[in-house]
Order: sequence, then C-alpha cells, then structure tokens
Amino acid sequence: MELDKPDFILLDHTGDLGIIVHGTDPKDLFEEAAKSMTYIMVRGKTDEKAKSVKLSVPGHDMDDLMVRWLGEILYLFEGEKKVITDVEIDVISPFRLDARLKTIYFDPNLLEIINDIKAVTYHQIEVTKKGDRWESRIIFDL
Amino acid sequence: MDIKLEKIDNYRWLIPKTGGMRVDGLIFSNAELIKAVKGDQSLIQVANVAHLPGIVGHSLGMPDIHWGYGFPIGGVAAFDLDEGIISPGGVGYDINCGCRLMTTLLRATDIIPVMKDLVSSLFKNIPSGVGSTGTIHLSKGDEEKVAVQGAAWAVKNGLASDIDLEMTEDHGTMEGADPSVLSERAIKRGKDQLGTLGSGNHFLEIEAVDKIYDQEKAKAYNLFEGQVTIFIHSGSRGFGYQICDDFLKEISKSALSGKGSLELPDRQLACAPLKSDHGKRYLAAMACAANYAWANRQILMHWTFETLIKSLSISRKDLGMKLLYDVCHNIAKKEIHTVEGKQVELYVHRKGATRALPPGHKLLPEIYRNVGQPVLIPGDMGTHSYVLAGAQGAMLHSFGSSCHGAGRLLSRTQATKKAKGRSIHRELEDKGIFVQSRSKRTIKEEMPEAYKDVSQVVDVVHGAGLAYKVARLKPLGVIKG
Repeated sequence: MELDKPDFILLDHTGDLGIIVHGTDPKDLFEEAAKSMTYIMVRGKTDEKAKSVKLSVPGHDMDDLMVRWLGEILYLFEGEKKVITDVEIDVISPFRLDARLKTIYFDPNLLEIINDIKAVTYHQIEVTKKGDRWESRIIFDL
Repeated sequence: MDIKLEKIDNYRWLIPKTGGMRVDGLIFSNAELIKAVKGDQSLIQVANVAHLPGIVGHSLGMPDIHWGYGFPIGGVAAFDLDEGIISPGGVGYDINCGCRLMTTLLRATDIIPVMKDLVSSLFKNIPSGVGSTGTIHLSKGDEEKVAVQGAAWAVKNGLASDIDLEMTEDHGTMEGADPSVLSERAIKRGKDQLGTLGSGNHFLEIEAVDKIYDQEKAKAYNLFEGQVTIFIHSGSRGFGYQICDDFLKEISKSALSGKGSLELPDRQLACAPLKSDHGKRYLAAMACAANYAWANRQILMHWTFETLIKSLSISRKDLGMKLLYDVCHNIAKKEIHTVEGKQVELYVHRKGATRALPPGHKLLPEIYRNVGQPVLIPGDMGTHSYVLAGAQGAMLHSFGSSCHGAGRLLSRTQATKKAKGRSIHRELEDKGIFVQSRSKRTIKEEMPEAYKDVSQVVDVVHGAGLAYKVARLKPLGVIKG
C-alpha cells in the first residue's frame, strides 16, 4: 500500500507547521485530521499487512478532543513506531471518541520521515462548523 | 487583535497595557528586525502572556522573537511565587533545549584539510535524526537516576568530569525532580534516546574563532583567534516532549473546568498556580526533563571527544577539550531578582531565551565571576555563532535574560520553496562549510536564509546592555538530524 495524500491546506507558521482540514461531519473531520497529520509525518510504500488497533479518547470539548486524538496518533508513532494506514471513527461526541485504526510497523527502509512533529499544540486550535461542512485548524510543534 | 507598539529607544519597543493585560509588553529589537516581528503573530503572543496571573515587570520579547505557540519563541516572563503561575507551554515541549560550547587547543588550519572526514566520523558516531536512538539503553531505574541526577549521572558513569558540572548552568542538575510523577509513556520514550542529537534545528558544529571583540573576557573564557571550538544544540528529546504534552493536557483540563478557572487568550497558555498541586507536580516533572537534557548534552560532548581523539589520532592533552559553558534556553526557574528596589524570588519562564548573569553574580563559577556568564548564541549554519558575556543590563531589564539564536525568518515551507533547484550542500561547501545530515529536507528547511541575521540580533543584545560580545565563531563542519 501507499500512503495517499489527504485533502488539507498547509498553514505558513514561522516556527512550526499548521494545517486546515475539512470534513462533512465531525467523524469525517477527525478521520481526515488523523490522515493529514500522518501524511505530514511519513511517506512511502510498504506491503506489510496492517494490524488493527482500537482507541478511545476522552475530551473536554471538540477542540480539546482534536488535540488529544491527534496526540494519541502521534504517540502511536513516536512511542510504539506504528504508522496508521486507515482510520474509522465509530462514535464521536465533544467528550469522547472511539476509533478503529489500521497500523503498520514503521520500517525506515520503506518509509521516509518527512517532519518530526514534537507535539500537537492547543495554539489557535479550532473545530467549527462552517456552512454545511466542518473545519479544523491545528498547529504542530516541530 | 491590533497591537500598539511605541518606540522607547533604538533597542526597545513598548506594548502598552490594554484590556486584560496585567503588565506592559517590552520588545528588544532594532529598526530592521522589528519589521519582521510586526509581520508575524509574536507581538500578540507577548500581549497574551501579559494576561497571565502574577506576572511581574514586563512580558518580554528578546531580539530573536518569532511566532511560537502560546508564548512567543524568544519570550521571557517572571511570576510572583504566591500569585503567579507555571505554564508548560511557556517552557516548551523541548524542556531544557540548550547549547554547549567546548574549546580545544586545535587551530582551524590544522583540521580544515581533514574536515570532510571529521564530519563523517562525527556523523557516524553521534546518533541524529527523527526519533534517533543511541547506544545507551536505560532500565527504568537508571532512567529515573538520570532524571534526578542530570549531568552528574554522566560523571558517575565515566562520561564526564566534575569540572564539566561546574561549567554547566545549575551544575547540570535541577533540584526537585521527582520521577514518580512521570507517565509510563515518558519513561518509554526516554529509554533509548540519551546521547542522541535529534532533528530539525538541533546540530553539532565544528567552528573556528574568527573574531575577538573583548580580549580580557575571551582570555577568561579560554578563547583565542583561529581556535577550534565545538558547539552542540540539543535538548531532552522525546522524554521532554512527552512530559510537556502530559502536563499540558492535565493542566488544560483543570484550567478550563477547575476552581478559579482562567479566561485564557490562547489555550496553549494553560497554566497552574505555582502553589497548586498541578503546579508542583509539573515542576517536579520539568526538573526530570531538564536533568535528562543536561545528561544528554554531556554525553554528546563525550562522544565528540572520543571521535576527535580517534579521527585525528591525537592525545587527550593535545586536543585539550574543555567545556566553556552549557546553558538552557527552554526552562522555568526560581531566581532572585530586584523588583521596585526589593530582592524577591520569582519563577522566570524562558521560552527560547538564555540566562545572562552579570559579573559578580554568586551563581557564576569562580573563573567567570569577574567577567560574567558565557551566553552562547548559535546562528544559522552558513554564517556565525557568538559568545557573549552576561551584563548588568540583563538584571535591570530582562530578569537576567538574553536571546537564544538568530530566530526563524521564513517558515519551513517558505524555506523549502526558496531552496528549490539549489544545492544548499554545495553552496555551503563553496563557503568552506561541510554539512552532513540524515535528511536532505532538513538542510533546505534550515538553510541560512531561513534565519534572521544573527549579527543584528546580537548587536541589539549588546546595544541594549543585556550581554556584551566576546567572540564570533565561523562554522567549518556541521552535522544535523
């Protein structure tokens, strides 16, 4: 499989890096955000069979939930060396998210690290409904 | 948010207190540098920091200030111990990211012919790059010892000497570290990353002293023209990032919903009262990361020492490597400062700012007591780095603080665009600078034009009397992640 480019807008931040992602609903938005962050971090092709991982993430509100959700995806990579290849959110509310992920083990011979994201920040974090679609602005610390 | 900026003199601009700001903002800059500052969001961030409870004096911006997250990079703020707060975002994810400069007895002319090989050897022996792991694999018990002992752990394990500790800010150990407050995730991420450089703007650089500004101070710092020095910039790696992340989430939740919750202009400014349980727990965890970073830079120095001895086939005596100083630039520390004529204890946050103690300060090592603390300012990899000496002006105007580097001018995306079709490696080699990195992308993102003119930044520091120029260092060889 190859990690496809999701649809996101790169924000020009002097010191760090930000993105704007869109979704048809909160579920779609959070899935797109996870795929976009992964695409920013890692690219490449691999034939490794993906394994399933379940995640439950608590939140205080939608903004907080986004930071915590992406923080979990980042930890999977930094702490467990797992790269997500697919994501499906089953349940989402401002206070909780349940998701099923497909992950592969990071192989530096097949995958290239593009950006070293240290953290998902709360700086200017925004999850809003704009018209008929949802939008989020996220800034990462590099 | 429209920020009003009033010029005070050639080096200082004031942001007058408005709305919820508790104090004025004060920016150290010059007519040229302030243009770029106005163009990003760092002035808003200085104003935002001024909203925090217990802030004392001014919310400060150093001359290398640029847009960060929460606090600006190059931000300094001091807080009252009773009314004030501690903010994990005001310290940053890379807790105790800092610089270390070593002097040698070598002359640049001796090693320039072998520079390419030397850079290769350092690149081979010093683990670098994203998520890099080294040859040290710590048990949980040993990692906890590193977190409590800091650079002293390296001494106990034969990777440093006592004199190195004396030349390190706080002797390389921050008191109050308590590993019991750390998450399993932090422990896991720190297990294999001790003695690794990291990626991004972290580097190890071989340099030559190419200009001395103050002979007396240079002599005290053991610096002479033509001398080879080695500059290291690294921090607490994934261990520190995880600690910041863990506590930011914990404190953010409490700041939003807890008793006495605050109206924050930016959620990244989430903070806890210094006296609170959250505040104390974060300080205990932050000290663990600060200690890990000091041990890390000490071990990187040891690998460098071993590599130079072997690659150059010289004796320890002929190499004569000594630690000039090690300073942190992402930290919060309890310090004594004079406020309205009284000596008070404050918590000083330095987010991308370096401590700059003046001559006579009691925390200085004996040999620097008469000249002031060495202030290490790295530039970009194509121009110069500087050594300055802390001055009295820093105690009067900036809570004993100075800048920490050149400061980014271009975003990484802008820099990559600017580097398109160019070989930055070749351009640097043409200037006599050999660079080796894990990632080609890093070299583009870190290209010299991506940074402000470091000479202007240090001129502001010098002109404002925060620290005085002692020596300028020219890069000869660079390794990056």
